[in-house]
Amino acid sequence: MSESQLKAQYGARVTTLLAAYDRGDEVAFLAVLDDMLHTRRPALFGELRELTCNLQVALDRFRVDSRLADLAEKDIPDARLRLAHVLKMTDEAAHRTLDLVEQSGPPAERTVKSAEKLLQSWQQFRARQIELRAFHEMLKGMDAFLPAAQADCELVRRNLAEVLLTQGYQDLTGQIIRGVMQLVEELEITLSGLTRLSGADASLAQQAERQTSGHGPAVPGVTQGAVASGQQDVDALLSGLGM
Amino acid sequence: MSKDMKFLVVDDFSTMRRIIKNLLNDLGYQNVTEADDGKTALPILQQGGIDFLITDWNMPGMPGLDLLKAVRADSKLAKLPVLMLTAEAKREQIIEAAQAGVSGYVIKPFTAETLKEKLDKILAAPAK
Repeated sequence: MSESQLKAQYGARVTTLLAAYDRGDEVAFLAVLDDMLHTRRPALFGELRELTCNLQVALDRFRVDSRLADLAEKDIPDARLRLAHVLKMTDEAAHRTLDLVEQSGPPAERTVKSAEKLLQSWQQFRARQIELRAFHEMLKGMDAFLPAAQADCELVRRNLAEVLLTQGYQDLTGQIIRGVMQLVEELEITLSGLTRLSGADASLAQQAERQTSGHGPAVPGVTQGAVASGQQDVDALLSGLGM
Repeated sequence: MSKDMKFLVVDDFSTMRRIIKNLLNDLGYQNVTEADDGKTALPILQQGGIDFLITDWNMPGMPGLDLLKAVRADSKLAKLPVLMLTAEAKREQIIEAAQAGVSGYVIKPFTAETLKEKLDKILAAPAK
């Protein structure tokens, strides 16, 4: 407020106030004083409102800043470890699948070749055109082929069953990737909260309500608390509980 | 229990449902129904006819633990054998599932032998 504004707003009242004071007129003195306070009140409320508003903004900024610090210091490095674990699991599953397929090639090939060889003699035999020596050769071939084919096909069948099981990695990695996606979403919300502080509250509260549906697969170096190391550990724990 | 018994496999990942279904078929169980979370599984169970429930834990919608609790709270389903087949390996969770009345608990990744062993054990146990 400039000097001229100050004089215009309060000058006359200060003069009247001083005159009442000099006269010892208590009633007039208090009336002018009340009038001055009344004029000042809306300005005081305005300042108070502005102060409260600033405090709210500061509190919100602090809340967003501390969540952002948490994300940067803990959650993001955790997410990196989780993704590294996903990479390891997909790599292992792909190699295991390839190993099994490669192992299945030779027995399948062996069976095809042996069957082809026997088929020729078999067709001659069915056409009654086979010689006795060739017939005996065919019988010997059959003796060798049947158990070999059984063993080879059994190996291929076992490998196929294991290929099937190996695909289970997709469930585990999928759950981890979903967790990281949720983190990215939270990071997005927190960052946009920095620019729109008023909107940050509800979104952060929503994020805090999570984790009622399980934690997902245990990730070495990330998952905290006691974790069963394998099925034997689970069985021992359940047996301890009387199951 | 005969090989005609009907299984309900609940998992949000279709690959895992396929794996479990194939393993059950290998074991001679051909009658397998699927659901992708507790919410879709519960109406199937309530319709009746399911003899064995195999469920994952961590699923959007209704998690497996809530499904287990809902099954145990329903007088018609309370005695249904429930095998939890999950990646949740925290000791506190295994205890929580046991307290909620799970019949067996297998952690992922698992082997065909483990699944067979747990199924046989649950089916051999007298109904509670």
